[in-house]
Amino acid sequence: MNTLTTPSSSNWLNKVPEVTLSFWVIKIMSTTVGETGADFLAVNAGFGQDISRAVMGALLAVALFMQWRTRRYTPWTYWLTVVLVSVVGTQITDLLTDGLGVSLYVSTSAFAAVLAGIFAVWFWVERSLSIHKIFTCRRELFYWSAILCTFALGTAAGDLATEALGLGFTWGAVSFGALIAITYAAWRKGGNAVLTFWIGYILTRPFGAALGDMLTQAKTYGGLGMGAMWTSALFLIVIVMLVTVAQFGVGSSRITQTTE
Amino acid sequence: MRHFYSLTRPVAAVSAIAILALAAGCSEPAGTSMAGPPAVATAQTSSATKVKAASKLGDLSAFRNIAADVTSIVDNGDLPAAKARIKDLEVAWDSAEAGLKARAAGDWHVLDKSIDHALGALRANAPNQTDSKKAMADLLTNFDSLQGKS
Repeated sequence: MNTLTTPSSSNWLNKVPEVTLSFWVIKIMSTTVGETGADFLAVNAGFGQDISRAVMGALLAVALFMQWRTRRYTPWTYWLTVVLVSVVGTQITDLLTDGLGVSLYVSTSAFAAVLAGIFAVWFWVERSLSIHKIFTCRRELFYWSAILCTFALGTAAGDLATEALGLGFTWGAVSFGALIAITYAAWRKGGNAVLTFWIGYILTRPFGAALGDMLTQAKTYGGLGMGAMWTSALFLIVIVMLVTVAQFGVGSSRITQTTE
Repeated sequence: MRHFYSLTRPVAAVSAIAILALAAGCSEPAGTSMAGPPAVATAQTSSATKVKAASKLGDLSAFRNIAADVTSIVDNGDLPAAKARIKDLEVAWDSAEAGLKARAAGDWHVLDKSIDHALGALRANAPNQTDSKKAMADLLTNFDSLQGKS
């Protein structure tokens, strides 16, 4: 097992983005876009759940392959992968719940256990759970399996809150928002950066879903009645804008290097 | 690089504000046409006004009306047309999930399963009238029993 010397200052080899405000904005919005996209394929386009699962799984495989092949952080590849992981993570939970009738209590605890397992192995192998220094194939594997698992867990936990507590999207957005604020405060007060990052990553899944529902749902149900299509279009525009800015940022930081 | 990091922050903040503003703006005038309850046009039938007692899920008449429509098409023996019409129910039901489910998850699941069943019957490789009729009758019964209990 080779010991990894971490490059001290340069992050040009790193394949994942800095965690900034725009990171979280894109991450939250991709949740909504991913979910409406998968729903659109399954219901409106009439492909059904099986075909859209297969299509999204194949697209994710392609995106992961591109992300794996790229030598450094490439915003559009990275975020495309996140959107697709979000879709597939949601589909896994939906398949378990709707298709196989697994109780949400069981799936929530199972995903939490699997996630804990991934972190344990990750830490055992790498002696670090750093989310900033992802530059080996193995670390990347840990990183993306953990992310897939947080999306599945976030979906299950969010659905459980709806089913067990009758938490609608308005109160869902408020409560998950409050939990995120607490996590943020904990991080500011010197809490463990890696731990708070992953907690935030899980919580932003149901938060993003509730936020999306608030915009898409009809006014009769207490939403703003924008409809799924317009909400997704709006979110997609913002995502594209932010990723474009990031892409230019990366581009300008390696003027001397040739981009693909 | 510093320069660009400092750029992403305001962009993120501005876009978040823009979304909220747009959301508030869009919801004012256009909401009624865009996202009102589905198939309002059919809601004026006399049978619908009779079932007034709202279920825990709220007013389900818009969904029930489509289901009643599908049922009458099935009764006429036009299964392909029924299959086309029931998609309206699927789309409407699916897009209202987030709004309805939290009100009474148990009741929601009863209807969801029943709708799935009807979809399955009409979308079978060789749909037959007996199964479709039965599935639609069950679905209407489920709607009515939920509307009946308050």
